[in-house]
Amino acid sequence: MKIAIFPPNSLILADLVERRGHEPLVLQREIRKRVTTPEIDSPPLNMTEEDPIKGLKYAAIEVPSGVRGRMALLGPLIEEADAAIIMEDAPFGFGCVGCARTNELCMFNLRKKNIPVLELKYPTNREETKEVVNKINTFLDSLEEKNG
Amino acid sequence: MSPLENSKVTRMIILGPSANISQSELVRKLHMMELPLTIKSTCYGAAVSGEEDVVKKAIDGVRELDPYNIFSKDRGFPPGDPRRCRAKRGGAREGFHQLEKEFELLDAVSNALEHPQKVSLKKAKKVSPEEFKEIAEEN
Repeated sequence: MKIAIFPPNSLILADLVERRGHEPLVLQREIRKRVTTPEIDSPPLNMTEEDPIKGLKYAAIEVPSGVRGRMALLGPLIEEADAAIIMEDAPFGFGCVGCARTNELCMFNLRKKNIPVLELKYPTNREETKEVVNKINTFLDSLEEKNG
Repeated sequence: MSPLENSKVTRMIILGPSANISQSELVRKLHMMELPLTIKSTCYGAAVSGEEDVVKKAIDGVRELDPYNIFSKDRGFPPGDPRRCRAKRGGAREGFHQLEKEFELLDAVSNALEHPQKVSLKKAKKVSPEEFKEIAEEN
């Protein structure tokens, strides 16, 4: 199954999903398409003027273009998702996922999609980390059972 | 950039803090596989780039060395890309800070993978006022 993860570039989440035989929908996949595809301004490093337009599908015109630009990357990943794992309060809120409003919009879209969602808090110590890993594995196994 | 570059994927192989192999051993093992890959030794482990199925084969191969301590994740930019490479930027590349933060938890992650425990995903129920009263009176 295709599992959306949040934060979408998390090493721990992507690795755990892959270990259980599922496909993690990671942000890097979308980034790769943009930085390796030869184009007229090839290859574009940043957003092109097309991206905020694509993002209009996910956010209204009043929403800042940064959110719409980010949603052009993250929106297609959310659409593909069959299930999702959301880890809130992750400390790495910078870089491509450094926008709090985009994060909120992504989580909102994942929650309203009517797919199985596992919500966790970012672990801060050893015990919490072990619990989070066990919960993720249990969740991923339960998805397999549901799908036969 | 050739059009062929487009079909290539790049993955980072990250060694956990308790891994029983070193970066150089990891890179040597990757070279010994004789797969058509670009391999780059890094501080966290290695970065490999090549066709998707070949990269997957390499990752599965190295994971066997220490299944609970070798982690892997996708990377958007190819290894040594001047737009992201530390050598050209003069500072850590953007993704490094996140990797550094998650690295702190990897020891506990590998421990949990090695010793899995059953957990319930159901949220704990709230205690009713009657039940709470009973508990309070007991003590």
